[in-house]
Amino acid sequence: MSILSNILKKKQKKRQNDNFRQMQDPGKPDELPIHRDYKDNIARIKEEYGNSTDISYREFKFCGSRGIAVYIDGLASNTLISDFFMETVTEEVREMVTDSFQQMIDFTAGLGNVESITNWNEVHDAILVGNTVFFLDGFQKALSVETKGWEKRAISEPSTQLSIQGPKDSFTETLRTNTAQIRRRIKSPNLWIESMKLGTVTQTDIAIMYIKGIANEKIIGEVKERLNRINIDGVQASGFLEQLFEDQTWTPFPTTHHSERPDVITSHLLEGRIALVVDGTPFVVTVPALFIQFFQAPDDYYARFDISTSIRLLRILAFFIALIGPAAYIAGTTFHQEMIPTTMAIAIAAQRENVPFPAFFEALIMEVTFEILREAGLRLPRAVGQAVSIVGALVIGQAAVQAGFVSPVMVIVVSITAIANFSTPVFTMAIAARLIRFIMMGLATILGFYGIMLGIMFMTIHLCSLRSFGVPYMMPIAPFNIRNQQDVFIRFPIWAMKNRPMFISKGNVVRTGENQKPGPPKQDEDQSSQGDS
Amino acid sequence: MEKAKINASQLFVLVVLYEMGSAILVGMGAGAGQDAWISILLGMTAGVLLFFVYYCLFLYYPDLPFTSYIQKITGKWIGRLIAILYIVYFIYGASRILRDFGELLTTTIYTSTPLFVINTLMILTIVYAIHKGFEVIARVGEIYFAVIYILAIGGFSLILFSGLIHFENILPILENGWKPVIKTFLRETFTFPFGEMIVFTMVLPFLNEPKKVKMACIGGILLSGINIAITAVINIASLGTDLFVRSNFPLLTTIGKIQLANFIERLDVLFMLYLVIGGFFKIAIYYYAAVAGAADIFNFKNQRKLGFPIGVLVLFSSVTIASSYAEHIREGLDVVTIYLHWPFQIIIPCMLLILAFFRNRKKKSSPS
Repeated sequence: MSILSNILKKKQKKRQNDNFRQMQDPGKPDELPIHRDYKDNIARIKEEYGNSTDISYREFKFCGSRGIAVYIDGLASNTLISDFFMETVTEEVREMVTDSFQQMIDFTAGLGNVESITNWNEVHDAILVGNTVFFLDGFQKALSVETKGWEKRAISEPSTQLSIQGPKDSFTETLRTNTAQIRRRIKSPNLWIESMKLGTVTQTDIAIMYIKGIANEKIIGEVKERLNRINIDGVQASGFLEQLFEDQTWTPFPTTHHSERPDVITSHLLEGRIALVVDGTPFVVTVPALFIQFFQAPDDYYARFDISTSIRLLRILAFFIALIGPAAYIAGTTFHQEMIPTTMAIAIAAQRENVPFPAFFEALIMEVTFEILREAGLRLPRAVGQAVSIVGALVIGQAAVQAGFVSPVMVIVVSITAIANFSTPVFTMAIAARLIRFIMMGLATILGFYGIMLGIMFMTIHLCSLRSFGVPYMMPIAPFNIRNQQDVFIRFPIWAMKNRPMFISKGNVVRTGENQKPGPPKQDEDQSSQGDS
Repeated sequence: MEKAKINASQLFVLVVLYEMGSAILVGMGAGAGQDAWISILLGMTAGVLLFFVYYCLFLYYPDLPFTSYIQKITGKWIGRLIAILYIVYFIYGASRILRDFGELLTTTIYTSTPLFVINTLMILTIVYAIHKGFEVIARVGEIYFAVIYILAIGGFSLILFSGLIHFENILPILENGWKPVIKTFLRETFTFPFGEMIVFTMVLPFLNEPKKVKMACIGGILLSGINIAITAVINIASLGTDLFVRSNFPLLTTIGKIQLANFIERLDVLFMLYLVIGGFFKIAIYYYAAVAGAADIFNFKNQRKLGFPIGVLVLFSSVTIASSYAEHIREGLDVVTIYLHWPFQIIIPCMLLILAFFRNRKKKSSPS
């Protein structure tokens, strides 16, 4: 049996490798030099791209020699190229010069970054990123001119991670726009950006950003190593990247953090984390990610510390409600009736009298219904959305109760759980709670609160065993670190947040200067010193 | 041996959780009546002294677990025999606690659930923790240490506000003289829980700063001892000596008496929460010591492989160890203390220390 499967695996592997090789090189050696005759070059491009209709060719005459410009319609800016031809190439017939190629370089410099290229690899790279390639007759080289200018979405308000007092811009699908948004917020030469391409077919641009001197060199090295190990045909979105280089696959908890808000990414970078910008995704990934980070909303830092502390505690409470809400209802009604105060117990029992299901099925039906509604709500066309939400409200609300399917208490429990689940700032963590909730419900059915507690115990062990790029996931809590408690359960006043997370930014941990505590102007020195002591 | 590194505060937390573990649940030192707390404090003092014996052994061999240096002290074959006996003792200890724990749940809350089911789920959780390694257990310990303190403070203030505490119940102090106090001290409080520190000799080499072993462990023993004594005082003060002595689980009885505003009552769940946490750490550490010892003796490179088989062993022996709870308790009080705890916790380590002393003196003098 095992031999057979081994052979099968080997065969499959071989086939995969073959496929992979085919994808990587389409059969022609690309290191070949460019032809002297520009017509040969055109013929070759047409053949290689299969006469794709989005490739534009513009013939021209320059300083006595003929030439052709090749670019991809839609990727390169049409207006830019047209203007260029209008102004320089066709405007006047130029006299013969000894080196028309050099002349061309000088002229195209007005367009954008010019590069002289000699082999086909470079030609493809240039065309595919939106540059224009100029072939001149009689030269075995070409010019690649930067004319990128595709349609892109304007910077808009964040749609999933909202904040009340924070900045209102968010990332877009364009890598450069995103790095620029971060660069604009951190005006320091120490913000380093390294680029690489991922995906053998898609050739997606990735930018690795970190602040030199704050980020931990070891983690930077680890990130690069893991990125280099990735060998896949395409990286379509940052979600791919997260799944390809996270520490643990078998866990519902996210070990990488992502955000669509430049202010969040900026603060992560300042803490010494490493950001990864993937072209084509409006989400920037940061690592290492710690558990508590998923409960820190941007507004926590823009509001006063006492208010944001209490809201953060509320958020953690909501996470627990989302986790064990229905499970606690099941445990309470089936195992621990004596725990519920008598009058309340009687009320619940009276409501449940007509319900035909045991508590577990009652809860399961309602939870699954809600999950279906929620999932459908995401995919619905906007026009029908309203209709479905009305129907949904009826199904898990009044009608279900009147039909005698569920008890009103159950409706309350489901609603609270659902709302609580939305208060987790990062979706990837909220969805983990959603999944674990069902396991907790099962455990509560078997063994009541004892089952729930064992479930939580199990979850804690699991959380404590996780690591994100070598950093323990539960970091300032377990292993406990007294100096890093400034931003965990209690959000200290900004002036008191003196240290960066120690494990993440090794060596350079001090953030603030001395005596940052604000106060009234020191007019009566005696009084203020009395107040201090 | 596993390559784990823990720091001093993690060790401290584990000692506290382990010592308090099941000791808070059962009526510690009930034989001394209202003077139970005195015998607990006596036990704690003796526990600190006993720990110095373990600590001296550790100082001779700071890089080795207990089962390894037994072999160095007494020679390979006798050492192995003793080490194997210790592993069996650790497994037995784990299954005893597991039985205690399961019985507690089946007699109080889950009256119709089989003991086996309850124990199985608990042991599965612990197997998972053992599989993840000692570092993870230490980290989990830090989280639950905080949880337990929040629970304890909450529970204590509820007891206080319910007006249950009557300090006149602990008077008169030493009504029957020192004799019952000393007797309970020797038979109960010395060996359980303070003598059980022997288990930590298996994990002391994990500490990243060996100098802090003394501080962490003795601090842990003192804190847990004081906590157990406070719990005993609260139990006696709210239940009265009579009920305290007769009750199987005095803390549960005390919590059951909490009644506030006709709304907060029957907080058995609070007790159960503590029970799960305390039981978890006590069993996990006993069990870990057994796994680490077995891996050490039988030269297992990957001790994770041993986790599951020993877990099954602990589970089945926990169910078959006694036919009823009464028998289990009787065994614990009459047989285990005298024939197991005393030799394994006190006599053998003391003899080992004397042997190690002579052996190392010879070593030191011979090269010079």
